[in-house]
Amino acid sequence: MPKLFWQGGDDKFRDPMSRAMTGESNMEIEKLEGVTVISTDERLDAMIAPKLKQMVKKMSEEASTKLVIDLGKTKFIDSSGCGALVAALRTLLKNHGDLKIARPSPQAKTLFQLTRLHRVFEIHDNLDDAIKSFDK
Amino acid sequence: MGQELYIKIEVIAEMFLLRPLDIFVRNLVKQLPAFSSDQDTVDSIELAFNEAYANISLHAYKSGVKGPVQIEIFVKDKMLEIRLEDYGENFNPAEVKEPDFQNLGESGLGIWLMKQFMDDLVYESGECGQNVLRLIKRIPDQNMSWSVGCSG
Repeated sequence: MPKLFWQGGDDKFRDPMSRAMTGESNMEIEKLEGVTVISTDERLDAMIAPKLKQMVKKMSEEASTKLVIDLGKTKFIDSSGCGALVAALRTLLKNHGDLKIARPSPQAKTLFQLTRLHRVFEIHDNLDDAIKSFDK
Repeated sequence: MGQELYIKIEVIAEMFLLRPLDIFVRNLVKQLPAFSSDQDTVDSIELAFNEAYANISLHAYKSGVKGPVQIEIFVKDKMLEIRLEDYGENFNPAEVKEPDFQNLGESGLGIWLMKQFMDDLVYESGECGQNVLRLIKRIPDQNMSWSVGCSG
């Protein structure tokens, strides 16, 4: 299945550094084994959090959405990023869906532990494990 | 010990400046020998600054046109201080409730995280009525000289 790219900005031809600097971001979406995977960009911060919430809200219109948020490329996450993940989980649960987190960075793990979010989210160090966990 | 570093940046508190400023602060902190091999502390200071700037842009200047923010970074007397001054709505950090970890909301973590990650957080009114937020991190007893410079 072809990958879908969600463009955060109007000018898709600008270089990746200038996109990162101004908060534009590509979040890659793909469907693997019936599970939707959103791969977030280098930063999941206040610039991108509203866009992630909006995406998940739209996805959750379809009942029982299985979603993995893959943080493998994300080096930095802030309180807004955490808030967007909490919002995403709540939105999905309301519609009988579920959310798993994959491949958090050490910075994200520290933040999840400090905020006890490691007890709220099911977190996997491996993307395949996160996807397969929906079968259990 | 004399002042080792002083940087001052003045901008309008627009959200699109969050990342460039954040990346600048991160890279600057990484240049401090005391923190250069301490990834966790660099992450912590970056996060505290990020939360402070985002709060000013999103909450202090929540209505209408964004106002100015002055960012000063000092390294002095074994301390790193990042001071942010704005003219937006003020708030009392003491009144900010501890997050409810049993039922964590989608917002309200920023101030608490700043407190966790910095050694000291001071919020006060400046001489001209501006809000002053001081994020302070103690520098461990080590060589405080910069990795780049003239050693004469």
